[in-house]
Amino acid sequence: MAAAGHDVQIDHVSHRFADYVAVDDVSLTIDGGGLVALLGPSGCGKSTLLRIIAGFIAQSSGRILFDGAPVDHLPANRRGVGIVFQNYALFPHMTVRDNVAYGLRAQKWERDDIGPRVEEMLRRVHMAQFADRFPKQLSGGQQQRVALARCLATDPKVLLLDEPFAALDKNLRFDMQVEVKRLQHEYGITTIMVTHDQEEALAMADRIAVMSRGRLEQVASPTEIYDRPATLFVNQFVGSTNLLRGELLAQDSNGALVRLDDGTALRAADSKGLMPGAKVVVAVRPEGLVLSDNAVEGARPGRIKTVMPLGPQVAYDIETEDGAALKAVVARSGASGLREADSIVHVAPVSPAACNIFAIE
Amino acid sequence: MPDPVRVRDWNAASLTIAFGIATVLAAIVLIAPSIVILITSFTDSASLKFPPSGYSLRWYRALADADQMQTAALNSLIVAIWTTALSVVLGTGAAVAVSRSRGWKARLLDGLFMSPLLLPALAFGFAALIFIYRIGLRPNLPLLVLGHVIVCVPFVIRTTLAALAQLDPALADASLSLGATHAETFRRITLPLIGRGIGAGGFLAFMASFDNVPVSLFLADERTEVLPIHLWQQIETNLDVRTAAASGVIIVATLILMALAERFAGLTSQMR
Ligand SMILES: Nc1ncnc2c1ncn2[C@@H]1O[C@H](COP(=O)(O)OP(=O)(O)OP(=O)(O)O)[C@@H](O)[C@H]1O
Ligand SMILES: [Mg+2]
Repeated sequence: MAAAGHDVQIDHVSHRFADYVAVDDVSLTIDGGGLVALLGPSGCGKSTLLRIIAGFIAQSSGRILFDGAPVDHLPANRRGVGIVFQNYALFPHMTVRDNVAYGLRAQKWERDDIGPRVEEMLRRVHMAQFADRFPKQLSGGQQQRVALARCLATDPKVLLLDEPFAALDKNLRFDMQVEVKRLQHEYGITTIMVTHDQEEALAMADRIAVMSRGRLEQVASPTEIYDRPATLFVNQFVGSTNLLRGELLAQDSNGALVRLDDGTALRAADSKGLMPGAKVVVAVRPEGLVLSDNAVEGARPGRIKTVMPLGPQVAYDIETEDGAALKAVVARSGASGLREADSIVHVAPVSPAACNIFAIE
Repeated sequence: MPDPVRVRDWNAASLTIAFGIATVLAAIVLIAPSIVILITSFTDSASLKFPPSGYSLRWYRALADADQMQTAALNSLIVAIWTTALSVVLGTGAAVAVSRSRGWKARLLDGLFMSPLLLPALAFGFAALIFIYRIGLRPNLPLLVLGHVIVCVPFVIRTTLAALAQLDPALADASLSLGATHAETFRRITLPLIGRGIGAGGFLAFMASFDNVPVSLFLADERTEVLPIHLWQQIETNLDVRTAAASGVIIVATLILMALAERFAGLTSQMR
């Protein structure tokens, strides 16, 4: 088994259906063995990109390279790309065993090697005892395991997962996420996983590629995506956020000074090269806000509308004097306890680093 | 949880009753002639009177000596088998082609292949005869089969298209990505999964060919007289009671075939 996976390079790939641009100049390099999550809203072109990589459709322009060699001339059955579909696409007229053996037979494995390989794969996904069942007789999670085993049995160069967990309920989904991550790691196989579940992307991926309307908005590590989103879209799509409108007053090497529309002043760590006078929106994550009883500098007063204790944290819904709604999540330290609904608090960002500013077009 | 109280809805009830009556009437109209002919075939007299005055198997015994009728039945069987085989092969191919094409091309192909179902078969038979003479041929068995194929292939196309529409396109993609060629994918994935649809179409094509009159009327020569036309002539010329017995055999054979098809291929579910 190859210890290091194969590099995958997506080089300026575009795809149009008639006159609709589904994938727009996407470039992305994935190192061997990496797991990249393609994250984006419905219809943004994730599946289309996967289908291009798998060779099911030919892109309008651009190239796909594995280990530096273009594969665009290779049809789907010679690319060595394994794909697990959202609905698993198990062959309904074949048993689990025959499903897993299908690719091995198609790739002309020695007859004597197929049996043991199938058993090994089924054992790995804990499905050995179901080998003689038909897909219809399996639960969603079991089908998904078989689909994974069928796909990995042939040692594909690249593994594509198109919303593999979408049909599973929450607990099972978590189990399968762990399982897939384990198998992916064990096999060292370069993997691209499509999802529109941001938590899934944050939990599983080495890197996340956020897509919107056919374009890549940002490719970065999960923490980077979350803490330093490149665009307002990424900021809003990944995690929840508070948006505060204002105007850039000044900027220097230490960051930017922004005057919000309600008059409060606020510092952001990065001015993103914007010029004073620019209309901006400041994004602060709920956990990037602190609540205090007294008016401190840069804080705006507000009234707590709802209190939601979420185990170790508490989420507050706060209405400021000018009617804006703010969401704050704070850790529950033993001393402070819960704040009461309807009480007045003063809300301020934890630090300039918690504030991301974006220009308003 | 207690059952929700059923509201008596007289409107809905009267609708159900109306549909029920219509269904029963339709069933009677459809089935009654077959039952009448079946009963008549067991008559002991030499007339086709219904109800018969007495019952016997004499006309079934007489079938054993009806050489012409047997020849005609054999011809019909041969034609139907050839027609079915060709319709299945051509119809499956056509259905796959139609299902793969998009937009106006798909509609054009679909309409073209379906037109024999809509156009009067009589007109087609006549036109085919003229055409055959124009190109210097005379009616013969292969041409008769060809004529039958043209009017029977739409059945196969219809049922196969329906089966293909049910097929998840991801299955073929999965097969390809596992390294199978297009041909293998068709043989091992597509064909087994649409097999029942093809089978149902084949069954319909067989039945349509076996009792086809309009096309056979024009394209059969003296030596390839087929059963439906032979029966018709017997009734027209001498009210032959053996035709009732022959009908009885056909009805029973059809019922058995249908039962088998239903049992092994879920025939009716494929025709929807
Ligand atoms: N065969 C096709 N013909 C025309 N347009 C298509 C075709 N397939 C996809 N599209 C369009 O391309 C866009 C991207 O589709 P795609 O399936 O890649 O979205 P997606 O990101 O996978 O969405 P989802 O999360 O809902 O699966 C959509 O707007 C869709 O309508
Ligand atoms: Mg999709």
